[in-house]
Amino acid sequence: MHTAPLSPAAPPSSPPVPLSALARVVRSKNAGPTQLTLDLFFHEAAGYERAAASAALQADAVAGLYGLAAGEARRFELPALQALKFTLPRRVVAGSPGDGDVYGAQQHGPLLGVEI
Amino acid sequence: MHATQRLLQSHRAGAGEPLRVLAASGQLGYGIPEPALRRGLERQPHFIGCDMGSIDPGPYYLGSGTMAAPPAVVRRDLALVLGAALEARVPLVIGSAGTAGARPHLQATLDLLCEVAREQGWSFRLATVASDVPAQTVLAARREGRLQPIGPMPEPAEDDIRACAHIVGQCGTETLERAFATDPDVLLAGRACDTAIFATLPVMLGYAPGISLHMAKIVECTSLCCTPGGRDAMLAKLDPEGFELESMNPDAHATPASVAAHALYEQADPFEVEEPQGTLDLRIARYTALDAHRTRVEGAGFRARPRPTLKIEGAARVGARAVLLAGVADPVLLRVLPEVLAAVEHKVRALAPGPWQMHPHVYGQGAVRPLPAAQRSAHEAGLVLEFVAPEAALARTVAAVFKQNLLHHGYPGRVATAGNLAFALTPSELDAHEAFRFVLYHVMHDAPLDEIFSVQAHEVVRGELH
Repeated sequence: MHTAPLSPAAPPSSPPVPLSALARVVRSKNAGPTQLTLDLFFHEAAGYERAAASAALQADAVAGLYGLAAGEARRFELPALQALKFTLPRRVVAGSPGDGDVYGAQQHGPLLGVEI
Repeated sequence: MHATQRLLQSHRAGAGEPLRVLAASGQLGYGIPEPALRRGLERQPHFIGCDMGSIDPGPYYLGSGTMAAPPAVVRRDLALVLGAALEARVPLVIGSAGTAGARPHLQATLDLLCEVAREQGWSFRLATVASDVPAQTVLAARREGRLQPIGPMPEPAEDDIRACAHIVGQCGTETLERAFATDPDVLLAGRACDTAIFATLPVMLGYAPGISLHMAKIVECTSLCCTPGGRDAMLAKLDPEGFELESMNPDAHATPASVAAHALYEQADPFEVEEPQGTLDLRIARYTALDAHRTRVEGAGFRARPRPTLKIEGAARVGARAVLLAGVADPVLLRVLPEVLAAVEHKVRALAPGPWQMHPHVYGQGAVRPLPAAQRSAHEAGLVLEFVAPEAALARTVAAVFKQNLLHHGYPGRVATAGNLAFALTPSELDAHEAFRFVLYHVMHDAPLDEIFSVQAHEVVRGELH
């Protein structure tokens, strides 16, 4: 899981970079059958700070990314771990007919392309 | 005297050595890695705990009463931990028997446990805890406003609750204490709170609930809190001020960062963890490296509740399920697939009427999550069409009729006039068990815990249950 940083985090004035260049872990998983939780772990503190301050990773922006209304996503900041976490309601209760991801482990995609 | 009393009479929190807790498995039945278990046993644990259940695999297991883990491997794992615990003469605690922890799961696990004991000629005292919650108890709680959904769980109608095939409650430390009071060598519980498996004996031995629950919360996943994470046995050494974590796999390291990060895993809130007995506050927890392999944890806060809450889970049958598997590799059809599926469904409703539902999963075009148009596959897609009907015969009939009508459906611009689908399998429509859904994922307040959880003491004599 520990890989070398791809690049040092750029100062905030620099052009946007994709989240995938700053984060070493971008994952999703159910938190029980009714909620989905997204964990982002960054390579280093500067990348975390930059991501945490970015407009694209505010709670409502992430809600929008997942087709949810403002106020539906909760954000948690864990600077000591260089991690951000978002918890969202699932569209379908896990495992009900029509659900496409019972464990919720493949819902991280929309985050990968976020520009920071 | 049996293993529980031996432990309770020989150990006291703060009076001598730390308590060594061996978490042998976080998912009993999928193959306990043996080298790490052996290393753990060499450390002379005071008790061995295994978690066997989870809600993750979905409502089918709770609803149908079947185990997710293959019985042959469950048997193997039970033989390993039972043999180890009896030889070391220490308690063995297994929680959430048979994946979902309802009566049929508890019974199936008990049968395998006795089968192993019969083969080996083992005898021991056993306590079982049944975790089934009567629908009437849930209905009463609902009417009295004591039922609270966890997350955005739809409000269940009374008939939905009555229709649940199984409803279970996650027993907590208060219930496992009652079971340990019968002095078992082995405690086998139906649906149990993961933390209760590992925290109950520490609490009975005088360790504070907060620290015991925090330790339990981490070790119930064995070495998942390490880097790299894994399924190897995990040892916790508990003292009145905190606990030390050490993986029994020498290559899986419990570091302050990896242990602290584990608080995020599958957890809606990384700071506050709700347990039946109260709320753990992890904001103030401290993680310190003892060396490159071991971490010490201290200082989590704990706010006890006056009365324990009860988390309940219930699953109801939706119907029988059949699936149709096919590929589409025609670029014209891929552009209009949603419209074509809707048109074929309309046709099939007339040909095979009945109360069936169809749920299309179009892989390559957003089956896993909604995809923007530019990312949808234009050259090949996989179809899993899910049909659910009250009877298996109808689900299968609809799948077959749907297949033939989709295969030969004409649509504007069609050039591949010989057939719309590629089949990898014959037959390409398959029976796919029964479909269930979660109706209950709720917290019940002021639950009659002693009434709900039935504790039974047995003697197992060379595999025969008495």
